[in-house]
Amino acid sequence: MNGAIVEAEKLVRRYQRGTETICAVRGIDFSIAVGDFLGVTGKAGAGKTTLLNLIGLMDKPTEGKLTVLGHDVTRRGISLDRLRRENVGFVFQDFYLIATLTALENVMLPSLWTGHNLEPKAKVLLDRVGLSHRVTHRPSELSGGEMQRVAVARALVNSPKLLCADEPTGNLDTKTRDSIFNLLQELNRTEKLTVVVATHDLSLEPRFQRVIRLEDGNVCR
Amino acid sequence: MIWFVLGFKNMIRRRTRSILTVLGLAIAIAVLYSLFEFQQGYQTHLKDELGAMGAQVMVVPKGCPYEAATIALHGGKWPRYMDEGLLEKVKANPGVAEAAGVIMDAITTTGGRNMIFLGIDQDYMKLRPAWKITGEWFNSDSTVILGSTVAQELGLKPGSEFSIPGKENHLVVSGVVNRTNTQDDGFIFLPRQTLQGLFDLKDKLVVILIKAKQIDQTDDLVASLRASEVDMNVFPLSELLSTISQLMASTRVFVSAIVIIAILIGGMGVLNTVLMAVFERTREIGMMKAMGASASDVFKLVWAETILTTLAGGVVGVVIAVASSRLVEAVIRSMIPFAPKGSLIGISPLTLVGCTVLSLLLGLVAGFYPALRASSVKPVEAIKTE
Repeated sequence: MNGAIVEAEKLVRRYQRGTETICAVRGIDFSIAVGDFLGVTGKAGAGKTTLLNLIGLMDKPTEGKLTVLGHDVTRRGISLDRLRRENVGFVFQDFYLIATLTALENVMLPSLWTGHNLEPKAKVLLDRVGLSHRVTHRPSELSGGEMQRVAVARALVNSPKLLCADEPTGNLDTKTRDSIFNLLQELNRTEKLTVVVATHDLSLEPRFQRVIRLEDGNVCR
Repeated sequence: MIWFVLGFKNMIRRRTRSILTVLGLAIAIAVLYSLFEFQQGYQTHLKDELGAMGAQVMVVPKGCPYEAATIALHGGKWPRYMDEGLLEKVKANPGVAEAAGVIMDAITTTGGRNMIFLGIDQDYMKLRPAWKITGEWFNSDSTVILGSTVAQELGLKPGSEFSIPGKENHLVVSGVVNRTNTQDDGFIFLPRQTLQGLFDLKDKLVVILIKAKQIDQTDDLVASLRASEVDMNVFPLSELLSTISQLMASTRVFVSAIVIIAILIGGMGVLNTVLMAVFERTREIGMMKAMGASASDVFKLVWAETILTTLAGGVVGVVIAVASSRLVEAVIRSMIPFAPKGSLIGISPLTLVGCTVLSLLLGLVAGFYPALRASSVKPVEAIKTE
């Protein structure tokens, strides 16, 4: 892997919207090193989420070459689901916590498909994100920042090598935004976790180790 | 956490919708349970009741033999009579082991009590070898023997005085038949001639009960009796059982068809509910897939949810059916012309298991499409869904 967790060459992603063909990512090259704290920034519609989905193995490129953790994901027959399950954690802007489950149960959710007992680890992670006192609370009893912390803990429960966060602070106030961003930075620093964050908030750029700024699917910085 | 726990929690999220879906299915299952139990209870008790007659062949006056048989079984007033002289002719048939002539009448007292009187003689006892009488057999023409239920309800015992309302009579209870758990418990037995005299039915009979010498030659006996006398209806009780069973079976086919349609509608309701839930949770399903859930994992979750819904419908349906069995039985009894005594809707493990398995199968079928739909959700598109 030469220290790179993700390598992309002439990466293109086009999709259809009705009769219109949208080119969300237009032949970009980049690489992400193990332990990077990378920001993918740009305005709405710049292609941030599309690129994050490609990096996070949620989607396949239309053209170009993409290697994630040494696997050529453009190869036919490759199982993105299995690779993603074993290597990638996701955090979304809208948290997507299950309303009827407690914070602990939400973090343990992946145990359904991994078959492992994740309860001890889930408790450790909730403690790590500062929610050891909220394990039995349901999402409706948590603040926005707390819900996003639960979502971060859930993303980490399978010990991913790569954490992808799509606008993780988009629904939060400035103070909460900073605390979530600090949490991601701290995870990157202390756990050597590779973190890729897509955000439209350009004021956060100085806080990333590296930034890929997109404009109309092209890298502009 | 297991799939069914999450499935159950998902059901709770849409509480009202889930409860209504479960109730719709439960009612259909309850009707199915009651129908099967009624069918089985009816046949069993009818068989028992006919067995308690102690006879294989019944001779009744001309007219509808099934109406006559109903009267003979449950007692009552039927304004058709045979001449008593027929009894001797029947007895003379070489295939007849025992024959008992019975005259019946009934009155309803001003208090609304229905009293059924049977005029019998010693021959009747030969068809009732299991009878145990507290007291003694008729010791004069002015004595009666009471069925156990009648004795209990009227508070009478051997030696008590008894009179038939509206008739000039003064009778004494000579004996009480110990409980037989048959229709006999509700009858008042009088010497045949006494009843004929009191009800102005001299030399009349309503039914002749016949015990064949050889049960396997009952058909020959029936043929021979039919050939010998044209002024009576002769038919074997097995024919009565089979005719009533056939009638019940025809009704069952019709009602079953309706119930099956109700269950299918219930199944469609479940499918619709789960499918709506899948649409509503598209983003959540996308998140689960993004977190590593495979298509088969999502399929399992939605299927588990559907099976839980239909199983809940099945269990609630059976509970409703068992809890309301007395009421349903009373309603059915009031709607059909003849029903044997005894509890017709009971608790049968086989029917319980059958209904539960049916609801499980329904869940497997109804949940298949929504589960397939959910499993095919693409995470990227699902998360974009508004």
